[in-house]
Amino acid sequence: MPVYVDISRCIGCRSCEVACKRVHGGKGHVNVHMAGDHASVPIFCHHCEEATCTMACYTGALYKDAERTAFDVEKCTGCGLCQLACPFGVVWSDKIAHKCDLCAGRENPACLVSCPANALSTDFELASRRARARAAMAVARGR
Amino acid sequence: MPQVLVPTVCPYCGAGCQFFISVEKERATGIEYMPEHPASEGSLCSKGNAALEILYHPDRLHHPLKRKGDGWARISWNDALELTARGLGGALKRFGPECVGFLSSSKCTNEENYLIEKMARCLGSRNIDNCARLCHSPSVVGLNRTLGAAGMTNPISDIANSKCIFIIGSNLAENHAVLSRWIHRARDSGAVVIVADPRMTHTAWMADIFLQLKPGTDVALLCGMAHVIVKEGLVDSEYIGKWTRGYERLVESVLDYTPEKVSEITGIPAGDIVRAARAYAISPASSILYSMGITQHSTGTDNVQAIANLALICGQLGRQGTGVMPLRGQNNVQGACDMGALAEFYPGYRRADDPETAKFFSCAWGVDLPVGRGLTATEMVDAAARGKIRAMYIVGEDPANSDPSSSYTRDALEGLDFLVVQDIFMTATAQMADLVLPASAWAEKEGSYTSTERRVQWSCKAIEPPGEARSDLEIVCALANSLGLEFNYPDAASVLSEINQLVPQYGGIVRERLNGAGLVWPCPNPDHPGTPILHTQGFKLQDGRAAIVPVQYRPAAEEASWEYPFILTTGRVAVHHNAGSMTRRSPSLIEREPELFVEINTQDAVKLRIADGDEVRVTSPRGGTTARARLTGRVKRGVVFMPFHFPGTNMLTTEATDPEAKIPEFKVSACKISRRD
Repeated sequence: MPVYVDISRCIGCRSCEVACKRVHGGKGHVNVHMAGDHASVPIFCHHCEEATCTMACYTGALYKDAERTAFDVEKCTGCGLCQLACPFGVVWSDKIAHKCDLCAGRENPACLVSCPANALSTDFELASRRARARAAMAVARGR
Repeated sequence: MPQVLVPTVCPYCGAGCQFFISVEKERATGIEYMPEHPASEGSLCSKGNAALEILYHPDRLHHPLKRKGDGWARISWNDALELTARGLGGALKRFGPECVGFLSSSKCTNEENYLIEKMARCLGSRNIDNCARLCHSPSVVGLNRTLGAAGMTNPISDIANSKCIFIIGSNLAENHAVLSRWIHRARDSGAVVIVADPRMTHTAWMADIFLQLKPGTDVALLCGMAHVIVKEGLVDSEYIGKWTRGYERLVESVLDYTPEKVSEITGIPAGDIVRAARAYAISPASSILYSMGITQHSTGTDNVQAIANLALICGQLGRQGTGVMPLRGQNNVQGACDMGALAEFYPGYRRADDPETAKFFSCAWGVDLPVGRGLTATEMVDAAARGKIRAMYIVGEDPANSDPSSSYTRDALEGLDFLVVQDIFMTATAQMADLVLPASAWAEKEGSYTSTERRVQWSCKAIEPPGEARSDLEIVCALANSLGLEFNYPDAASVLSEINQLVPQYGGIVRERLNGAGLVWPCPNPDHPGTPILHTQGFKLQDGRAAIVPVQYRPAAEEASWEYPFILTTGRVAVHHNAGSMTRRSPSLIEREPELFVEINTQDAVKLRIADGDEVRVTSPRGGTTARARLTGRVKRGVVFMPFHFPGTNMLTTEATDPEAKIPEFKVSACKISRRD
């Protein structure tokens, strides 16, 4: 269950960035990008089904654990291959790799609770229901 | 390890979000969210998430400091209090109480504001004010006159019930971020969102109708909308007949504001003005949200009155989903005003120029009190420049950065005989002081704060202040006592019980009832549940009717000229707060927005041979500063935008003020831009 983003709700306040950094000892895993003058897009770990970071990781520090792409810090050598392999640029490394752990030990990821605009959820159904409702509203209003 | 969760109110904006500070071994170690909070539902913006970073910052003031040559000498609290008493007391005796100014703080608790205001007035000075002067003084004046109460009429969560949300002059997505969740919720159930702003802000991303007006033309836009509503017969005649006075004069006054004419003044297509007016008037529940884009003008009071007029003629008040919502910028700016830290009002908005008020508080406080309004924050600086104010006591404010035309303000403060500043950091203003007193941050003291939705909440003490720093309440009491007054308040609760007696709106807001989500004033007695929605049964004015006060468009004090071809408008960004003394010291915030920038339209920049990221010189008749150029389509040609969190921006802004509310016109100043090489 990755964190789904409703981009139409994102207000570019960067709360998720700061919250993530706060609960991960200053090493955050979220980047909010300003897409021109009209939108902002937070880039999260997708917890990909076929995660290239896990394929690149030769020690098995990064591995699939059901839906989650998990990380075992004990096995990490800090080689940085995962950073090169991640197509979204969300895995990064200094001495060790840093990636989203969906805030293990918390009831919900900090970014999700903290988001002032309610743009984040772990509920895929909610994300798609909102998109359908928006499409219906646009049809009803004639645009 | 024993871990305690202490509920506190966020020290940044006025939304009133609460969070828990987790405390281990007397140290604040983390933040936990509070999903049951009625306004934030547990969310926090970037500033709130980073709030703890300032608590243990190495720049925190730990000891009282006295100026010694160009540097500072550490002194004891006894010496500091004696010196302050001698400095202020001497000025009071030599020049009279009118020559001493007091600035209270909208970052301090209600109790502290009440005491600072009480101290100033008990010493005979009428010159007490707070930085609400620089943000919402026109709301206090304009809304008190038209609606009889200055404050948000409906709660934040009620925005979700609105069917048309008109946001004018507010970038709430960045500055009151938690409000956006309620706006999204309203949109999900079909609400139309209208945003009027000179800049394509993050808030404008939420808009169905975006009105990009020229800075300073808000009255024209609002009158234009009223014109359409009157002409098309979309007014709520029943509401007007029952609850208002002055409608006929309004009809006459908006006659000339045809969409075509307004379009010429504001630069908004006439069709959009008509669409916005219809959407607002027709919807079963419309609300207006505004903030500094409305107030920080030389026509600030007119802007506010024009907003109230629009709501009144459409009957969009006193019900769910309706209302006029001034969004306050600081965590306790509403409370500082409620507590009478204002030149023209005593606690509970009793007029200072009414002899009855002075009599009432003279009886309560046991001293003779002066009648009449005092000097406002901006007037105090002027008076200091002219030598009329000789000594000042400034608590938690940084006029050297936050007032317009900084070099003028700095000269004025430098010229004071005695300046004492009480703050948590060495601000630019504190640098100029004779004496600096170390105060406590929000987590190091207890007390109540009133959020923008009039919600009074109690913030608990989580940790001890650093070094010898003390809470503002302790300092003020000690200072008042050494100046010959008798302030015997052992804690904030004892001050609150005095406030309960003297401020009718706070009559029932007693300490025991303030746990959790607090209470919304007016709450006149201990059994009253509070009043989330105002004006449900008429208005606190003559006959219970609101006053429609017609206004006319006046151009801003300064216009672009041949020499200064750009209009500079100022504002905030998501990761910083006001003069920035806290957020610029917060590592995770400053790294996201490290320096002053200026947004300039790409086409204008090309003509000036400025590229994105160039260092440019911005100059106005008052001074100049350097900033990093950001090329954008967010501002129209001829308009530039700068955030005011960095010293420099207010070097440029004009000292022109609103004639009634005395708020400076931060939002419109002429300037020119050039490359630095």
